[in-house]
Amino acid sequence: MTREAAGFRELRTAAAALGVCVGYYVGAHFGFLLRFPPMTPSVMWPPNAILTTALLLAPPRHWWIYLFAALPAHLAAELGAGWPTSLVLILFATNCSEALFAACGVRWLSDAPRRFDTLRRVVVFIIAAVIVAPFLSSFLDAAAVAAVQREPYWSVWQTRLFSNALTELTVVPALVIAATRGSAWPWPMSLARTVEAACLGALLLIAGIAVFTGSAESGTLSGPMGTPFAVVLPFMLWAAVRFGPGGASSALLTTALLSIWGATHGRGPLGTLPIAEGVLPLQIFLITIATPLMCLAALIEERRRAQDTLGERLRFEQILSNLSASFVNLPGHSMDGAFEIWLRRLGEFLRIDHVLLFQFDGEGKELVVASAWTDPEVRHRFEDSGEAPTQGEPWHQLVLFSPPAGPPLEPVRDPGSRAGLDIRSSSTIPLEAGGEALGALWLGKLTAERTWSNELVQRLRLVAGIFASALARRKADNALRTSEGMKSAILASLPSRVAVLDHEGRIIAVNESWIRRPSEETTWDARLGVGANYVATCRHLASAAVPFAQVALAGVERVLDGSRASFSLEYACGHPVADRWFAMSVVPLNHHQGGAVISHTDVTERKRAEIDAERSRRDLAHFTRRTTIGELAASLAHELNQPLTGILTNAEAAQQFLHVTPLDRDELRSIMCDVIQDARRAGDVIKRLRDFLGKGEPKAMPLDLNALIQGVTKLVSSDAVIRNVTVRLELDPNLPLVTGDSVQLQQVVLNLMLNAMEAIGEGECAEHRLVVRTDCPDTESVRVAVEDSGPGLRDGSQEQIFEPFFTTKREGMGMGLAIARSIIEAHGGVILAANNAGGGAIFHFILPLVGAPAA
Amino acid sequence: MTESQPTVFVVDDDLSVRRGLERLLRLAGYRVETFTSAREFLARVAPDGPSCLVLDVRMPEQSGFDLHAALAARGRPLPVIFITGHGDIPMAVRAMKAGAVDFLTKPFDVEALFHAVRQALARAS
Repeated sequence: MTREAAGFRELRTAAAALGVCVGYYVGAHFGFLLRFPPMTPSVMWPPNAILTTALLLAPPRHWWIYLFAALPAHLAAELGAGWPTSLVLILFATNCSEALFAACGVRWLSDAPRRFDTLRRVVVFIIAAVIVAPFLSSFLDAAAVAAVQREPYWSVWQTRLFSNALTELTVVPALVIAATRGSAWPWPMSLARTVEAACLGALLLIAGIAVFTGSAESGTLSGPMGTPFAVVLPFMLWAAVRFGPGGASSALLTTALLSIWGATHGRGPLGTLPIAEGVLPLQIFLITIATPLMCLAALIEERRRAQDTLGERLRFEQILSNLSASFVNLPGHSMDGAFEIWLRRLGEFLRIDHVLLFQFDGEGKELVVASAWTDPEVRHRFEDSGEAPTQGEPWHQLVLFSPPAGPPLEPVRDPGSRAGLDIRSSSTIPLEAGGEALGALWLGKLTAERTWSNELVQRLRLVAGIFASALARRKADNALRTSEGMKSAILASLPSRVAVLDHEGRIIAVNESWIRRPSEETTWDARLGVGANYVATCRHLASAAVPFAQVALAGVERVLDGSRASFSLEYACGHPVADRWFAMSVVPLNHHQGGAVISHTDVTERKRAEIDAERSRRDLAHFTRRTTIGELAASLAHELNQPLTGILTNAEAAQQFLHVTPLDRDELRSIMCDVIQDARRAGDVIKRLRDFLGKGEPKAMPLDLNALIQGVTKLVSSDAVIRNVTVRLELDPNLPLVTGDSVQLQQVVLNLMLNAMEAIGEGECAEHRLVVRTDCPDTESVRVAVEDSGPGLRDGSQEQIFEPFFTTKREGMGMGLAIARSIIEAHGGVILAANNAGGGAIFHFILPLVGAPAA
Repeated sequence: MTESQPTVFVVDDDLSVRRGLERLLRLAGYRVETFTSAREFLARVAPDGPSCLVLDVRMPEQSGFDLHAALAARGRPLPVIFITGHGDIPMAVRAMKAGAVDFLTKPFDVEALFHAVRQALARAS
């Protein structure tokens, strides 16, 4: 509570106390006017009623202030009347006691002490304030007056009882209603009702004045005593029926004042009676007419309110059903607008100033305003005064329930004022869905207090429930959209071209890369978009012999029908600058209906690196082949010199034969045959050499390894002779063909055989034997073994010997076996080295029958 | 053709060389016997009359040098003309030191061969 507000409240209490003081003083003088001197009691005595009104309106802790405020007014008024001080003080005590009896009784018995709008409240008021309080306080009052003024005790008691009862009955409801209504000034009243109230007041005044203040002898309205009251009765009924207890009370007060004034001044219907005798019947008459009238007003008010409540409930239910209908199936993005509309309708319907919808932030820790509505009039008023109550932090303080982790999830009602924010009344309803706290609905009224009945709170919980489920749905929608967005973003960010096919092969989604693909890089599927049937198009293109379409079609079909878990294909694609390589991959779509995901990834860089590596390997292999041939020079010279010698000698012989007569044609023919054969032999050597040294592109083709080994053996046969090595071939006649590059595999065999012969030359072994063996270790591979009778491998060098630059020879480069291994591995095989059990080393390589094509 | 006709033995593993030499030497008036290996030659009964040996150095199993040494060891020295498809100086030196008449590198000049054969037969007789 701020200091300003506290000061304001104190000022208001002080003003009210001053009002009570002044009212008491004026009321006392007014009471003196309605007296029948020499009797002390008045016909009506307003001060007690004013005091009762003050006590009913004020909280009990402030009662002493109003009682003290009344004291100076009492002294000033009554000491002026010339009464002894003791009597004046006793009368103050009796007045205060009456007010206290009345206020305590009403507060104790009534559910709403300041209201007279139900029969129960009116009856409680009549019993406590109109009957019991005057009855009890009049004993002491009469005793004091009787003792000091020597007046007859029961006469005083009776007069005071009835005058106070009448005053309480007519004055207190009117004043209380005026005071409570007054705080909500201007009263909400239509023009028609204002006119009606004015007419009623004017007619009542005219009738009252005419009846009660006319000459007693004029006789215009003379007759039985009830007749003049019959004239004003319709107006009082009118007031009771149309304006409720407040109207009835005001009409009664007017009638009472006019009739008493007339009676005390010898006018009106009672003017003919002696004053003292006329008062009592008047009082009794007014009390008896006022009591049912007040009850009637209360009944009518109660009924009207019941009807209003019923109507309001119906309207609320209408609102609830409309609200529910408008939020069902409302997409998440339209909800903000809907919240705004419905907060306004709710605010207008409940006649409150502010409705705010709070929502937990993303982390669920803090409440933030999701939507807000402020009555435009109230907003205008606050803007004028430079305050903006709907903006800023203070609103967060209003929400009196904790974040999801903690209790309570109960509505918080604050019917009283919150001085710090100048909010007169508010209510907070938690929003929850599925046990999860989502936020809160806050309703507040700045301009006036209002009650938050259980029923209203229950209804608001229904509203909150609809809001909560809408918020929950929007939250779920957002989460879904975020997740969907993330998936699309991931797909869009992939550099590969991705297309998703349904189970029939129709494209149901493609990513950005698929669409963005430059037109010059077209493959068979580049122009297909969502909706196109991939399989059908592939089939069409395959029939038109578009490269790779047939292979791709087979792969996609097999993945779609589930006979293959995946399919991949690498292909080159013509490009104006350079070939580009792509890897196509097809995998099944993880979806209950099946389908497939196709991706094309640019693997040009990897492919180029592979091609470069292969090229350098090939260059190296070629280089080593030349080196090997250099090593074989002696052997090759021998190999060539044999046929050349044959040719030369035979040719010389032929020349000699030509001089012999008779010419031996048979011998000459035989010589020519030998010459031709030798020439072919020499040609074969040259051809083998050229093949071996060739630098052509590697070609994968079916190869007979046995024939290949025989060819290589011829190449080294001279060398074997020179080195005095016996070469034995143990070839499996049923050896299946393998796929590979002939030159490269010749190089491997040659390398192994030369190594073996060198090893044999090194050793001091009795047997100079080299065996080359082929066989099939299983149905899927073939094996070539090269076995020598040399000294064998040094322990631990079996692995090292295949490393580049590893050599045991004085003049070797150490590349031969490294290249042999790279060639065998490029063919999908393995090469191994070991020591033979019977001495010497054995090298063998194994090639797969369905191996990878030679690189 | 007389009994005193000199004989030239040819030992070479290469068939066409053997046949070419046989034809040439026979036309030149010599008796010619050819053998495919050292072992085959050694198995032959020692010849009568003047004879010489045209011997290939590089042969499977026993080389020309081996055969030369073996003949010396058996006490039937025979003038030898070495022929080889791949010769070098150390090999030539080794042949001459062992007492060879000549050392010819294939393909050799026919006249050089005849010259060597004549020398060898002269030495034999």
